[in-house]
Amino acid sequence: MCRNNIYKPELMEVTDIIDETFDTKTFRLKFRDENVAKNFSFKAGQFGEYSVFGEGESTFCIASSPTREDYIECSFKKIGKVTTALNRISVGDTIGFRGPYGNYFPVEVMKGKNVLFIAGGIGLAPVRCVIWNTLDLRDKFKDITIVYGARSFNDLVYKRELKEWKERADVKTVVTVDPGGEIADWDGEIGFVPAIVEKIAPQSENTIAIVCGPPIMIKFTIPVLLKLGFAEENIITTLENRMKCGLGKCGRCNVGNVYVCKDGPVFTYAQMKELPQEY
Amino acid sequence: MEEKLISKVNLKMLVADLIKANHIVVGQDEKAVGWKRLSHTDEIVVNSNGVPSNLSYKEFLFAKTEPIFYFRNNKDNYDLIEPANVAASPNLDEQKIVILGAKPCDAPSIEIMSHVFNWDYKDKFFNEKAERSIVIGLACHYQDEFCFCTSVGLNPTSEAGSDLFLVPLDDKNFAIKIVSDKGKEFVQPFIQYMSEGNPKATSEVLDKIKLQERKFEQAKVREWIAPNFEHKIFDKVGETCLGCGQCAFACPVCHCFDIVDEECNYTCGRRMKNWDACQFGLFTIHGSGHNPRDTQGKRYRQRIAHKFKYYQDKFGKTLCTGCGRCSRGCPVGIDIAQVVREINLVANQV
Repeated sequence: MCRNNIYKPELMEVTDIIDETFDTKTFRLKFRDENVAKNFSFKAGQFGEYSVFGEGESTFCIASSPTREDYIECSFKKIGKVTTALNRISVGDTIGFRGPYGNYFPVEVMKGKNVLFIAGGIGLAPVRCVIWNTLDLRDKFKDITIVYGARSFNDLVYKRELKEWKERADVKTVVTVDPGGEIADWDGEIGFVPAIVEKIAPQSENTIAIVCGPPIMIKFTIPVLLKLGFAEENIITTLENRMKCGLGKCGRCNVGNVYVCKDGPVFTYAQMKELPQEY
Repeated sequence: MEEKLISKVNLKMLVADLIKANHIVVGQDEKAVGWKRLSHTDEIVVNSNGVPSNLSYKEFLFAKTEPIFYFRNNKDNYDLIEPANVAASPNLDEQKIVILGAKPCDAPSIEIMSHVFNWDYKDKFFNEKAERSIVIGLACHYQDEFCFCTSVGLNPTSEAGSDLFLVPLDDKNFAIKIVSDKGKEFVQPFIQYMSEGNPKATSEVLDKIKLQERKFEQAKVREWIAPNFEHKIFDKVGETCLGCGQCAFACPVCHCFDIVDEECNYTCGRRMKNWDACQFGLFTIHGSGHNPRDTQGKRYRQRIAHKFKYYQDKFGKTLCTGCGRCSRGCPVGIDIAQVVREINLVANQV
């Protein structure tokens, strides 16, 4: 009989904290146990259960790229009990981590193709993981386009990286804010993500689109992509259902015949269409 | 299948031996509220005429609440301590959990739940109890308007899930059928309490049990759910449902749970796995406030669809035994069998 306690987390040290916005932080994490670190690997798009002992567990994606092997990163918005507790954590503190769980972006399939990344708000976190994954293996992919939007300038996350991507010649980066969210010397776009995607009209041939963000953004972006000629199988998104166990047991993320934590979180639009509208 | 005869007196002796050897003997309590660990043979209730207890014995396999680990602050780090379990005390492996008098609508519950607790990741908290369990089933002479075991592929005489199966022959004797290998091994030390069985007499008793007419056709309902997901029938039930979760807690196979930290102070605490229910409004709510199942109708639909479709599709089992506990206990009188029957009627009209 398997005596392994699947609910027991590994311990990780917070080695760096970046303030992304007034309520969003990125943690860089390192396993306390070297053996665990040595045996740990994950793929772009997978997630984990992060815990503050005494407060509970919360689910976020792994926001760093699997090509950066010495650490993992996660980004979270202060929004509930656990994320508020995480927000109080300092460098050197210990948190719990279980994972990696779930499926992943088909990076292998994307090789030799154009990739279009579309993200909104904190939805950039899972996309950032696969963006760095593709940029670290840049010659394996054709054109890379990033479209990222947030409510306002202050809500944009990973600002330093957005700047870095913008400066790179081998990536086309478009950053937009909702009307009214711009600042005085804003040099990006102004408008909602779906409208901006329509405006820049990326080519759909031999292209895979990865779309993550608030449900409303996904809802209006997908018709634009379909109009541009993207096949349903080439539009990839993640479902962000509430989870507790991450192991396909606790029942929260059950949508139709699927446990999002096991069969997802990455789904193509073709797969998503088959599911009942419970996400 | 081997069959023996055991008198009520000898069954008591058998239970007395088990209790003395420190096995966990679980029996229904006298008031049919739930199940408890028996400490004395006077507490034995093996009544084939009795109504199913309000709660099933699920909690002896899938605890209402149990620690999954303890944590203790240690400077910048934490020590995580496993709860006392089989690994810690090898003798516990020998301690059987004997379920005494499980009706055919209770006995399959362990097998049904074991699918979800073992696909891919294995839940040791369930497994270490399930593997020690011995289910002594009991033929059922009870039937009321809430029962519907025959509609979900079981019946009052089915041995599914039982390791041993009792059939009351008269005031003093039971036939005891040895159903599984696990059951065969288990009865070996007690064989002196048993005499030669009389299968003919047993069959006569079983044949007399009247089978309830089926209330709905499962296959039909299963097919209907997906294409009719937005049907008003679910909202109609949702308007009545209070979302109290009684149905899930009473259910012998509902298995949703929550993970929370409890009894914490600055230096230590524990993480718990607690029963939860998909009927609660907060069950699926996102951090943003978005809730995929934001009405009681949608939550009730999840209950029906998970039991009669999703679990079937995924694991090939119906997540329901037809015991009727959820309906008997419902504070607003929702009868799941009637709801599913109604769905069946609607499906037939198409």
